[in-house]
Amino acid sequence: MSVAKTKAQSATSAGASGARPWQVAADRIAGVTPGLAWLSPQRSAALARVEASGLPTTNHEDWRHTSLTAYEKRWTSYLTTAPDSGTLHTPDPPLLSITESDVVDIIDGVVSVTAARGQPGVMVCSLRDPTPELRQRAAGLLSQTDLWPPDSLQDLNMALMTDAILIATDTGSCPTRPVHIRIQTSGAPTLSQPRILVDLSPDSRLTLILEHSGTNGALVNAVSSLWLGRGSHLDFIRVQLLPDDAMLTEATCLRLGEAAAVTVTSVDLGGRLARQALTILLAGTGSSANVHGMFLADGNRHIDNRTRLEHQAPRTTSRETFRGIADDHGRGIFNGKIVVLAGAAGSNAALTNRNLLLAATAEIDTKPELEIYVDDVRCSHGATTGQLDMNALFYLRSRGLDPLAARQVLTAAFLRASLTDIAVPALRAQLETRLAAKLGGEPGIGGPT
Amino acid sequence: MNALLQVTGLRVAVGGTEILKGVDLTVRAGEVHAIMGPNGSGKSTLAHVLSGRDGYEVTAGSVAFLGQDLLAMQPEERARAGIFLGFQYPIEIPGVSNVYLLRSALNARRAARGESEIDAARFLRLVKDKARLMQMDESFLQRGVNEGFSGGEKKRNEIFQMSVLEPVLAILDETDSGLDIDALKVVSSGVNSLRNADRAFILVTHYQRLLEHIRPDFVHVLAGGRIIRTGDRSLALELEAGGYDPVLATVGH
Repeated sequence: MSVAKTKAQSATSAGASGARPWQVAADRIAGVTPGLAWLSPQRSAALARVEASGLPTTNHEDWRHTSLTAYEKRWTSYLTTAPDSGTLHTPDPPLLSITESDVVDIIDGVVSVTAARGQPGVMVCSLRDPTPELRQRAAGLLSQTDLWPPDSLQDLNMALMTDAILIATDTGSCPTRPVHIRIQTSGAPTLSQPRILVDLSPDSRLTLILEHSGTNGALVNAVSSLWLGRGSHLDFIRVQLLPDDAMLTEATCLRLGEAAAVTVTSVDLGGRLARQALTILLAGTGSSANVHGMFLADGNRHIDNRTRLEHQAPRTTSRETFRGIADDHGRGIFNGKIVVLAGAAGSNAALTNRNLLLAATAEIDTKPELEIYVDDVRCSHGATTGQLDMNALFYLRSRGLDPLAARQVLTAAFLRASLTDIAVPALRAQLETRLAAKLGGEPGIGGPT
Repeated sequence: MNALLQVTGLRVAVGGTEILKGVDLTVRAGEVHAIMGPNGSGKSTLAHVLSGRDGYEVTAGSVAFLGQDLLAMQPEERARAGIFLGFQYPIEIPGVSNVYLLRSALNARRAARGESEIDAARFLRLVKDKARLMQMDESFLQRGVNEGFSGGEKKRNEIFQMSVLEPVLAILDETDSGLDIDALKVVSSGVNSLRNADRAFILVTHYQRLLEHIRPDFVHVLAGGRIIRTGDRSLALELEAGGYDPVLATVGH
């Protein structure tokens, strides 16, 4: 009897930190983020949902190919052991260097805007010290309920975020320099919850670069909400360059107002597990989205991209092309869905996914889907998975290139097609160089060096 | 004079079916040989086997190129040794620029000869000069290899590549097919400008009209997997006038 009682007691005492790690973490984070106190009701509600449902499992259709089981222990151990003092760590050297840009570092989920030079027409600030105006602009974005997919990771981000960044443009503004957000992790083992809020006022135009880099062992759960006002235009380039043992889950939702336009380029070249859920809501009449994605699932990488392009309003247009390569023991997953709702007459959507499978031990799972609730639309979708074109390989060899070089040239050429819409030449050049380096080739295959 | 290329008793099968049934051919420096023949006679098979393409089984015979066993060499080794294959259907390779391919190809050939990589400025001058010769707009250099090119542009691009790479032996597989008369003239003058005492050409063609522009030293008729007749240019004219049937009939085909 006495033994059993001792056990029960120890369980109770450990329970504070062991059985409810999310609560423990939330309490500690609340203590160091007084600036986010106004969000307490939302954070508590989100926390309750996380505790009730736990992390997504492979039983969820949206998570069928990606299991977080191997990470769950690490998540909770980081939460209950890692101190979160809210202080900034020294960032690693940046991987991308875009000289003509405004850099904002988010380190372990905490925003540092000191590096931003600032420019007219765009406001970049942390939500730790919110002004009433800031709170007002951020509140809507933070309470967005149509984030997709509706899983507990977004609740987790809300419950445990230590900061959020708001980027907001003035009406009609056209800042000349891109805003470059560098999401990084420090050397400490952390589970960070970056939160990015972007609010483009009507008729404004912005180029936004979102870069993921960090240290091995990092766990990142990012959520971004981007609203594009009437007639606004966003160039959004997301680049994932995490080290080989890092994990990223990411949900990004863009909502486009009337005649707004977005060009998205998504690049995955790193990480052990990287999962992105990208949602674009074409909510305003005549809005349009151009999406280019690419991933390289080499080594032991597991890269899962799912996109949802939802046509809600009349005469909306979407064009999406995603290209992926799986090699070694890598696994690439693409799930692209186009939804055309009843109110979206006269819309036009096209989705293609092309994959290269370079090793018998690698795997690609692709699933393009259409869901159409109205007659007057033009939609197309298709996916292919194949090997390198043997005729192209022979052509290059017949010109003197050795087989290895020829393969590298063809694989790099396959992926670089997804980079052509990047409007920042320096960024495009650096990505091409990285791509060539990863594939063992040399840069410049697409043009002059 | 020693032969550049010595094909002896070459027999080749594709998927178990014998296509070439004992081909003998000697090509010396400075010569232009035309290989003619009806469809399915094995002309393209011969071109492909000489360039090292997969899928062809050599069952007998030998091929020596500059004294080396050509059949033991990989396609890229053949290219570096100075063999150039002009494709019947040049491949489109989006994302790989023409200029990159040319520089890689030229440097691979130079490395094989123990030369250093070509200086960037010299290379650019060279390709621009050659592009002008082939009446090609410079802008195409930065475009993807054959990407969106018309049939004629692709063939011109093949000859352009050949003129930059300056091969020892060029094998042009049906280079004239799909060309209009203007493109045919450009392609022919490109080939003629490269003719010299050290270089040889094998022109694989179905029609005589290419040979009005590029005068061959020898014309061979390939039929049923063998060279059934060899002659000078007058043989091509004979074929043009009477078709292949009379020639085939004289050798019992």
